[in-house]
Amino acid sequence: MTPPKSKENSKKKGKAEKESEPTKVQSHLETLQLLKNENEALKQELLRYRRLPSSKIGFTLLIIGALVFVASFAATSTVLAFIGLGFTFWGALFLFAKPIKFVRSTLLDSTALSSYTTIDRILDDLNYKGKPTYIPPYPKEAYLPEYLKGLKQMVVFIPAKDTTAIPTIEEMAKKQFLVKNPKGICFMPPGFGLVSLFEKEMKADSTKIDLDGLYNSLSTVIVKNLELASNFEIAPEKELFHIKITDSVYKDLYSIERKLKSVSSVGCPLTSAVACALAKTTGKIVTITKSIVSPDLRTIETWYQTVEV
Amino acid sequence: MQIPLSMSDISLWIAVTAIILLVASELLSPYSEHFGYFAIDKARLRLAALILGASFMITVLLRAIGYS
Repeated sequence: MTPPKSKENSKKKGKAEKESEPTKVQSHLETLQLLKNENEALKQELLRYRRLPSSKIGFTLLIIGALVFVASFAATSTVLAFIGLGFTFWGALFLFAKPIKFVRSTLLDSTALSSYTTIDRILDDLNYKGKPTYIPPYPKEAYLPEYLKGLKQMVVFIPAKDTTAIPTIEEMAKKQFLVKNPKGICFMPPGFGLVSLFEKEMKADSTKIDLDGLYNSLSTVIVKNLELASNFEIAPEKELFHIKITDSVYKDLYSIERKLKSVSSVGCPLTSAVACALAKTTGKIVTITKSIVSPDLRTIETWYQTVEV
Repeated sequence: MQIPLSMSDISLWIAVTAIILLVASELLSPYSEHFGYFAIDKARLRLAALILGASFMITVLLRAIGYS
C-alpha cells in the first residue's frame, strides 16, 4: 500500500515532467536550428576557401614570366631576364605551395563537436561514471587468430562504475560497443586518427619506439610538422606523465559554453592521441587523471597514468 | 639571340631567392596575430628553399671548377 501523500507527490512529479517535456523539445529544436545555421556558415566558409584563386595567380605569373624571359632573349636584356625569371619562379611556387590542404582550425573543433556531444549523451543516458581507460592494441605484425583480430584496434573503455577496469579479451575481440563484463562502453578514441597521422610523420610505429624517442618525436610532430599547437611539453612525474600544450587547435572544445563533459574525461583529439601513443609505447593501459585548462584556453595541462592490469 | 644572364647572375639570383624563401618559411607562423592565418604549405616552401640553396651550391661549385 502506498500512503496517499506519496501518491500525490508522484502525481505532482508526473505533471511537472509532462510540463517540462515540451520545454525540453523546444530547447532541443533551438539547438538543432543553431547547429544547422552554424553548419551552413561553415559550408560557405569552406567554399570561399576553395575558391581561393591561388592557382589562377600561379598560372598568370608563370605565363607572364615565361613571356618576359623569352623577350629578354630577343632584347638581350639582363633586367628583363631577371624579371622573367622572378615571375616564373613565383608562379611555380604559388602552384607548388598552394593551400589546398589547409582548413581553418575552427572547422576542426566544429567537426569534432558532434562526436563529443554524442559521447556525452550516451554517458548521460546510460548513467556511466567510470574513468575512461585507453587500452593498447596488439602490434600490427603480431600474429592473432581471425577471431581475435579485433584486439589490434586501439579502444577506450568507459566502465559503468567509478573503477579502473578493462573488458575481457573475448569481448574486446568482438568489437562490441556495449560491454557486459565489466559493464561499460568501448569505442574508438577521438585521437585515433591523429595518432595514425603522428606515426606516419614519425615514420615509425609507436609500439616500436621507447619513451624517450616518443617524447622527442611527439613534440616535433605536434609543433613543427602538423602545427597542432605552438608548444608541447611532456615530462614523466613518478607514475604519471604530465603534458602541457599551448595554443592547441582544439582549445575551443574546452570552452565552458560548450559544456562538454567528455572532453575533460576522454580528452580532446590531441590529448586523446597522446594517451593512445603512450598506451601503445608503454603497452600498458592509460587513464587521464587530471586536466587543467587556463581561463583563456591557451594552456591545457593533462596528467596521464599508466596502470598495469 | 643569346642568353642575357651569366653564371654569376644566375648564382646571385638563386642565392637571394633561397634566402628570402628560407627566412619566409621560418618566419611564417599559423599563430601570428599580426598577419592572421597563413594558409600556405610551409613544408613545401622550405623544400623549395632548400632546393634553391642546393642549386646555389652547385653553381658555386661549377664556377670554382671553371676558374681552376
